[in-house]
Amino acid sequence: MSGLSHFLTLASDGMKANRLFWLLIAGFALFPIFTHFADLPFWNDVAMRIMLLGMAAMGLNLVLGYGGMVSFGHAAFIGIGAYCVGIGEFYGLTNGWAHILLGIVVCGLMGLVIGYLALRTSGIYFIMITLAFAQMLFFLFVSLEQFGGDDGMSIDRAEFGLIDLYDPLRLYFLIWVALALVGLGLMFIVHSRFGVTLRAIKSNESRIEAMGLEPLQFKITGYVISAVICGLAGVLFANWQEYVSPDIMHWTRSGELMIIIILGGLGTLAGPLLGAIVFLLLEESLPIMLDTVAPAYAENWMILFGPLLIMVVMFGRGGLVGLLAAQRQSKNNPKREKVGQ
Amino acid sequence: MTFTLILEQTFNGLQAGVTLFLVAAGLTLILGIMDFVFLAHGSQVMIGAYAAAAITQATGNFYLGILLAVPVTFASGYLLEYLIIRHLYQRDHMEQVLATFGLILFFNEAIRVSFGPAALFSDLPPSLSGFVEILPATPYPAYRLGVIIVGLLCAVGIHLLVSRTRIGAMVRAGANNPEMTAALGINIKILFRFIFATGACLAGVAGMMLGPLTAVQPGMGEPLLILSLVVIIIGGIGSVRGAFVAAIIVGLVDTLGRVFLPAILRLFVEQATADGAGPALASMLVYILMAVVLIFRPTGLFPAKG
Repeated sequence: MSGLSHFLTLASDGMKANRLFWLLIAGFALFPIFTHFADLPFWNDVAMRIMLLGMAAMGLNLVLGYGGMVSFGHAAFIGIGAYCVGIGEFYGLTNGWAHILLGIVVCGLMGLVIGYLALRTSGIYFIMITLAFAQMLFFLFVSLEQFGGDDGMSIDRAEFGLIDLYDPLRLYFLIWVALALVGLGLMFIVHSRFGVTLRAIKSNESRIEAMGLEPLQFKITGYVISAVICGLAGVLFANWQEYVSPDIMHWTRSGELMIIIILGGLGTLAGPLLGAIVFLLLEESLPIMLDTVAPAYAENWMILFGPLLIMVVMFGRGGLVGLLAAQRQSKNNPKREKVGQ
Repeated sequence: MTFTLILEQTFNGLQAGVTLFLVAAGLTLILGIMDFVFLAHGSQVMIGAYAAAAITQATGNFYLGILLAVPVTFASGYLLEYLIIRHLYQRDHMEQVLATFGLILFFNEAIRVSFGPAALFSDLPPSLSGFVEILPATPYPAYRLGVIIVGLLCAVGIHLLVSRTRIGAMVRAGANNPEMTAALGINIKILFRFIFATGACLAGVAGMMLGPLTAVQPGMGEPLLILSLVVIIIGGIGSVRGAFVAAIIVGLVDTLGRVFLPAILRLFVEQATADGAGPALASMLVYILMAVVLIFRPTGLFPAKG
């Protein structure tokens, strides 16, 4: 079998297996048409935020969902990516492609160092050491007064050659292309030899060791890849927000990323993106809904959002992707569902 | 930089340390012994602080406020365990993170709705607002000294409870092997509920004592939650002794770093930069400490389980 046809078979199999993800991507491509005719330009902004957080969550999902490494500090990589833009511009580097390259290299190196040190521990200790590194970086950027410290720094959208990012649609599709490429990349990584090994390590690490492989190498590689994806999301995030502050790497954002993944479905390609859609749509719509019912409490929407998260955990297993799959299964084979329950 | 200043700041560090220990001790019971990732522990601190502040305002008596707030926090912990937490023991850590993150959002917002977003300030009674001479000509705020003493008493109490009493033996047995303990006729469900409520209560006490020192406001517990997580990791998960040692270390490092790091930095860089960077670098110190401990001792200073 020639390389190309092998590649094409893999790609078409991947498309089929991850139909939901590519449907969502297609939906995002068509969404601006809808907002144009419905005259809702604000929702383009929401969609960009969804894609960016979804991209970061997909990066984290590689270690969290496929690799079983619960990193509680991935917001740090988003922050590093975003500061690559801010600090780059501060020193006169205005080319967006250079920012992306810088973000990837810096996040890769940081991921390598943090991963190497943190992966000596496991379980709750790993959760906490990743948090510790993220907090260190958070306070580092708080302390860097020349880059705005606590208040952050404002950013001009970078120059991407012919792509003028001040045209909102071009920014939208730059993010969209990046998201689709990340999805495509992850699809291949997960099904590659490397990805299979990573997933095998999650289910039985000592067995992989017994097979003569070094689990740590695979884990660190996975950690670096996920850091790079979060860094890319960070670079684009800074361009979208036109502003960066240490807030972008606050520990609650790391928590948010985890929630998005768990909400959508761990270890699936579509899960993090679906989770981001639901998470951010709830964030946008709960205040609106509350505004119509009890206007005085519109800004207290989290009082509903919190219990909603708890209910997701208590009653829905496997996240939204799991829920959808279960529904499809019960439609195809209603009896089996009953027996299973 | 005088000896008095160093002494005073060391006491402040101790005060921060024992407060941190109360939060971390509760978390040690819940996370270390029951193996439940409880992120909403900071909310228990907030609930304690609000209960004390509200009762103090209503009754006009600070001591009554503290006295009545203790059972309130115990009851809130008990109720929370009964309603939600007990359904989540069997779930994996990530689901526990998600559910208890939801609890944080709920508690912060519920407090904001019922008490308003502004911070509450509670005044100290005259009997506690004075100074005590810890050394000749070295006055120290009486209230902070009181916090240190109460914190140390609680530490001794928890130590005795866990290591010397029948309940403590049951707790340790339950942590070691819940099925076996249950088979020996101990009601593990009630035991866990009791531990959980005690842990929540300890966090609440920390909140009550912090009330007059800091602003009582929604979300006040989260920084403490993160720091107390750091503490139990440095100390070794599940070890009360480790939590105590680590809490004192973290309290001292954080407080002394905040005061003296800008001064040390000023020797090397200009003053404005040093004053700006100092406090943030001091906050970093704690996490650097934790990372170093974990790199050299991946299960903390006093690992409780093998």
